[in-house]
Amino acid sequence: MKSLSHIINLRTILIMAPMLLIAGCVEKQAERTYTLVWEDEFDADGAPDDTKWVFDLGGGGWGNAELQTYTSNPQNVKVEDGALMITAVNNGGSFTSARIKTQGKFEQAYGRFEARIKLPWGPGIWPAFWMLGADIETNPWPQCGEIDIMEYRGQQPNLVHGSVHGPGYSGGAAITKSFGFANDRFDLEYHTFAVEWGEDFIAYYVDDNLYQEINPDDLTGEWVFDHPFFIILNVAVGGSYVGFPTPDTPFPQTMYVDWVRVYREVL
Amino acid sequence: MEKNKYSFSLIALFAAIMLVWTVSCTRDFDELELAKFPAIPEVFIDGFSAGLNYAAFGGSKVTAFDVDNEVRYSGSSSMKIEIPDAGDPLGAYAGGVYFTSVARDLSSYDALTFWAKASKAATVDLVGFGNDLGESKYLVSLRGMKVNSNWKKYIIPIPDPGRLTAEKGMFYYSEGPEDGTGYTLWIDEVKFEKLGTIAHKRPMILNGNNAAESAVNGLTLQVGGLGMAVNLPTGIDQTVEIAPAWFSFASSNANVAEVDSQGKVKVLAEGSTKITATSGGKEATGSLTVTSSGDFTHAPQPAAVPEDVISIFSNAYTNVPVDFYNGYWEPYQTTLSADFEVNNDNVLYYTNFNFVGIQFTSPPVDASEMTHLHMDIWIPNAVAPGSRLQVKIVDMGPDGSLNGTDPSIIYEIPGPLASKSWISADISLAGLGSKTKLAQIILENLGTGLTGFFLDNVYLYKGGGGTVTGPEVAAPEPPARSASDVVSLFSGAYTNLTGTDFNPNWGQSTVVSTEDIAGNSTLKYANFNYQGTVLASQQDLTGMQFLHIDMWTADATAVGVTPINASGSPAESLVSLTPIVAGQWNSYDIPLTAFTSSGMSLNQVFQMKFDGQAGTTPSNIYLDNIYFYKTGGGATEPTVAAPTPPARDAASVVSLFSGAYTNLTGTDFNPNWGQSTVVTTVDIAGNSTLKYANFNYQGTALSSQQDLTGMQFLHIDMWTADATVVGVTPINASGSPAESLVSLTPIVAGQWNSYDIPLTSFTSSGMSLNQVFQMKFDGQAGQNPSTIYLDNIYFYSTGPAPTEPAAAAPTPPARTATDVISLFSNAYANVAVSSWRTDWSVAVLEEVNIAGNAAKKYSGLDYVGIETTPTTIDASGMTHVHIDVWSADITSFGLKLVDFGADGSYAGGDDVEHQVNFAAPAKGVWVSYDIPLSNFTGLATKAHLAQYILVGQPAGATTIWIDNFYFYKTSGGTGGGPAAAAPTPPARNVGDVVSFFSNAYANVTVDSWSAVWDDSDVADLTVAGDAVKKYTFTNFAGIDFSNHKLNVSAMTHFHLDIWTPDDVVAGDVLTIKCVDFGGGSTEATNFILTVVHTVTGSIPALEKGKWISIDLPVTAFSGTLTRSDLAQIVLTSNLDELYIDNLYFYK
Repeated sequence: MKSLSHIINLRTILIMAPMLLIAGCVEKQAERTYTLVWEDEFDADGAPDDTKWVFDLGGGGWGNAELQTYTSNPQNVKVEDGALMITAVNNGGSFTSARIKTQGKFEQAYGRFEARIKLPWGPGIWPAFWMLGADIETNPWPQCGEIDIMEYRGQQPNLVHGSVHGPGYSGGAAITKSFGFANDRFDLEYHTFAVEWGEDFIAYYVDDNLYQEINPDDLTGEWVFDHPFFIILNVAVGGSYVGFPTPDTPFPQTMYVDWVRVYREVL
Repeated sequence: MEKNKYSFSLIALFAAIMLVWTVSCTRDFDELELAKFPAIPEVFIDGFSAGLNYAAFGGSKVTAFDVDNEVRYSGSSSMKIEIPDAGDPLGAYAGGVYFTSVARDLSSYDALTFWAKASKAATVDLVGFGNDLGESKYLVSLRGMKVNSNWKKYIIPIPDPGRLTAEKGMFYYSEGPEDGTGYTLWIDEVKFEKLGTIAHKRPMILNGNNAAESAVNGLTLQVGGLGMAVNLPTGIDQTVEIAPAWFSFASSNANVAEVDSQGKVKVLAEGSTKITATSGGKEATGSLTVTSSGDFTHAPQPAAVPEDVISIFSNAYTNVPVDFYNGYWEPYQTTLSADFEVNNDNVLYYTNFNFVGIQFTSPPVDASEMTHLHMDIWIPNAVAPGSRLQVKIVDMGPDGSLNGTDPSIIYEIPGPLASKSWISADISLAGLGSKTKLAQIILENLGTGLTGFFLDNVYLYKGGGGTVTGPEVAAPEPPARSASDVVSLFSGAYTNLTGTDFNPNWGQSTVVSTEDIAGNSTLKYANFNYQGTVLASQQDLTGMQFLHIDMWTADATAVGVTPINASGSPAESLVSLTPIVAGQWNSYDIPLTAFTSSGMSLNQVFQMKFDGQAGTTPSNIYLDNIYFYKTGGGATEPTVAAPTPPARDAASVVSLFSGAYTNLTGTDFNPNWGQSTVVTTVDIAGNSTLKYANFNYQGTALSSQQDLTGMQFLHIDMWTADATVVGVTPINASGSPAESLVSLTPIVAGQWNSYDIPLTSFTSSGMSLNQVFQMKFDGQAGQNPSTIYLDNIYFYSTGPAPTEPAAAAPTPPARTATDVISLFSNAYANVAVSSWRTDWSVAVLEEVNIAGNAAKKYSGLDYVGIETTPTTIDASGMTHVHIDVWSADITSFGLKLVDFGADGSYAGGDDVEHQVNFAAPAKGVWVSYDIPLSNFTGLATKAHLAQYILVGQPAGATTIWIDNFYFYKTSGGTGGGPAAAAPTPPARNVGDVVSFFSNAYANVTVDSWSAVWDDSDVADLTVAGDAVKKYTFTNFAGIDFSNHKLNVSAMTHFHLDIWTPDDVVAGDVLTIKCVDFGGGSTEATNFILTVVHTVTGSIPALEKGKWISIDLPVTAFSGTLTRSDLAQIVLTSNLDELYIDNLYFYK
């Protein structure tokens, strides 16, 4: 078990501050101490570890008019060289990609959820690291809740977005905030995306920079983030959120995930 | 939750100031060392930045640029550029450079940015930076920038900013009218920036392609197609053209060729080298492989004296003014130039050749004193058979301008074209109607095998003196004659015998060529002593009366001619052509009795000879219209009996109609198949002969099915006075196709023609001969109706069937080592095989030698195991397995492949295997199996192949010989499919189309796209969102809708789009056979279209890598066009892969 003593380093924030584009303010959260409870370091080449991940397969737009068909094909998803690679492929105008989740394998309420990711690029590419309420089968979305730790539009390679969806604040009305670089991009190096989630807060981080904290008071509806959620990693192509790929969108496009780690707070 | 915001911001500000201060300190220190230029980023914000100048390009409208104080993106003004209308007297386009007199250091920026809009949507030809009106060393250009009436920000990346420490070229543009109309372009806020958000720089040379170029020592080549793709902050990829200085070039073998900093390649020595490049530390995509064939051989030194020459291109004479040596005629020309100089000898080099024009209009050349055009041609690559090169010489004509009606002559360089030797052509201008204003020489590729050539010593000269002179007018036109009255060797008036070799090597000094004389192809014997001609087949000329020859000569004094017979004595008898009048065409009609009076025969003429040695030797003669003929009034019925067949062993013959053998009994020679033919037997010189009068087609029904797989030939004797095309086919009761029409050729009217058709001519279509129950003759493709007489219709094999192979197995084609894994062949390196007969096999193994070639013989075969253990074979990258098998007695052959799985050893739970079987293989011949590994459907893994089991029937009683057992991958490769969808068919009314497969129309029901009876595979794929079908051929694929048969009689046209990844070479073929059941349950009639590697009439050519639309009237098909009960379409091809789309009939 690894343990993380999570202390926001003052010097780091001072140097990073001039780089913040959208999140002009950096907020300090109370220090919390976490202990690692679940991880996938993606060190074994091949298919994703089936003790930890299951596939979402198929097409149909996934509620967002997305273009891709999700497969478990190694062309679309595999572990190689210490990273999970989810690749969107253009097969002459029809797209395949992959979406994996921990549903039924690992679900948790509260804690720190983080992943180290290098993102793909190009208009219409929509990768995400996010969570859904584990009761979604009996408690349909948006009532089950959705926490988007990281979403990104390939036509804005310097911006990422953190959101929550719930009853009364879903889809286009989600509670959301963005974090960006003035002169860097998320597709050049790995960055760490995290939320710290407690009974009355969800705090969003990029590389340990806090850029958003959502509390029950911020919502326009009921706070539903009080039960276990599972993790999802995917790369979508096109759809109502991101728009559609153009002839200039380069394919294939790969999201690299170095690791995913989940912590529980040590009280 | 903003409680801590302000305090943190203050601290952040303080930290930022600290950073700036620190950086400033460092910069001061650097300046002491490097004496940098100023790093001013602004180019044009609201006016010219410090030290900026503007200069318009030559030929452009110099007043095009102005500063606009009203229209601007921000601030107080913008740059306004007025692109002129076409024909503006002040200039044809707008273009200019914004440059500084003192260089700037731009190394701290990563892009030039600006905002632009225009008075209408337009595409700006070029914008960029790095143009300093001088070397423009670091030029970067964006070609085809789209603008519209809204302001938009444009970004031109700096490929490798570290190099831009002293740049004067800040901005440039060039744009002409769009569709003849000018417009206004505004540009504002032009500056260099450090964006930090442009990424994924991908430099490229040769536009990212891996190209190859043939060369000789001393030649220089320029690496082109230099560019860089970058990803903009919008996530979009953009490619800019960049100058050579942005790259570092490298040659993998600098001994063969070196490359300089400008990408100029100088070839030094024989061999091959690969030119690659890097930019900004990144490897560029694309490469140029240069292969030198060694030292350059200079073209022959021209001999003509300068006074008699007008030179277009040579170092021996002074050349006249030439507009260009390569017109780059868009859009169809592909030819590029790589002209070079070796030891002060300039040579033109055309690459990627389809056609090219040399033009000299200023002034045009007055060639009225000239007689010939000379040129020397060198082809550096190996030349594929069938390569052809044509020269067209064009005069402006009386109107003094080049247009579609100019006088011209066309000359084809005599083939076969040789590579790596100078080919000298001397083209007579005699046929050119006007030659006072010569203006163009156009070289055109008539075949497919020629990719490029060197050209030197292009000049016009005056003949005479030592120069060969020739006729200026064509030989007299022969009279029209009935085809049956003529056997023609060389004439434009009649159908010539095919395959005649006009230049066999009999030791002669003669140089044979064909020359175009006033539009007429003429045979030329230069340096003539004697000259032979070899016919493709023996000709019985006993029915002919005369030999006709037209001859022109300036110097020959005695010329004799004789046909040569293959039998009898004497075999030849020289007859003199008299009289010979120099300088004009002489026509001779020699009675054939002049030859036969010597005792020679003319029943098996196989050669001809001309001999000039009795007179001036050598001399030059021109020949035309060489043919044998008879003077009409031919018989309409044979007067002699068909030749008597030789005695044959009864077991070697299956006879239908012959007096020499025992015929099958009960044969119906006149079943009613709806024909017009009247069938009778007539007595011809005491011999019963079958007569088909009013013949269109005619069937014959056997009383019982015959297994003819043991036979080798079908023999037929035929006599006709008028039939021109007659096909014949046996018809099999099973398999598909059930029949395959083979033409009887040649048909010589008025005499008995004997045909011995190898049965492989039928079986090559895929048809079987194991249950032959009918025969058919079909004359509809020629004279119809006609009358034919038939005799001696029988199948036979030559003597006892062979029991062992006499010839070696076919030699496999050359392949790259990585494309083949061979177990047993002389053609490739073989891998280790641990056993050629495992101890569990049921067979006897002998190592044998067949015609000098090693083979393995398995006798008493039931099955035999071959093993590669413990080192297994990884065939996962291969596409096919090949094996050649010979057997005299096999009835079924099977090949099983066994993969031992990841554990690499027997059992272990991961072994997989699959067996492919072939029923009724051909006997007594080498059968080459090329089996797609995808046919081994049970073979889920192929990375550890360990066992190969050959299975034969009758079990334990067959003997096979095998050779050339190997795995290979096809050059087409997997995944090499079309990138674009096939063309979308036009909208049609529902009743106007019957579609089998298209997204444009409603499709009918098809039972199977690869019927159970075919041997090929089909896959459904999507290309650019469009469904296509991919066929992987063994031999043929059946599209079967026999449960949903169609009446498409109302449809007049057929359409099919095809695409193949295969390299298309001569001999490649696709046949499309449409099968009509005629109301029955099996094939009654068919019509066939054959698509080959060249265009044939209205039928397009097979081509690699592009969609070919076959869109033809049904009448373009041959066969019976009945289509009221259409049931199948059979695709037969020797291509490996074919994609199809839009299969439909329409009207």
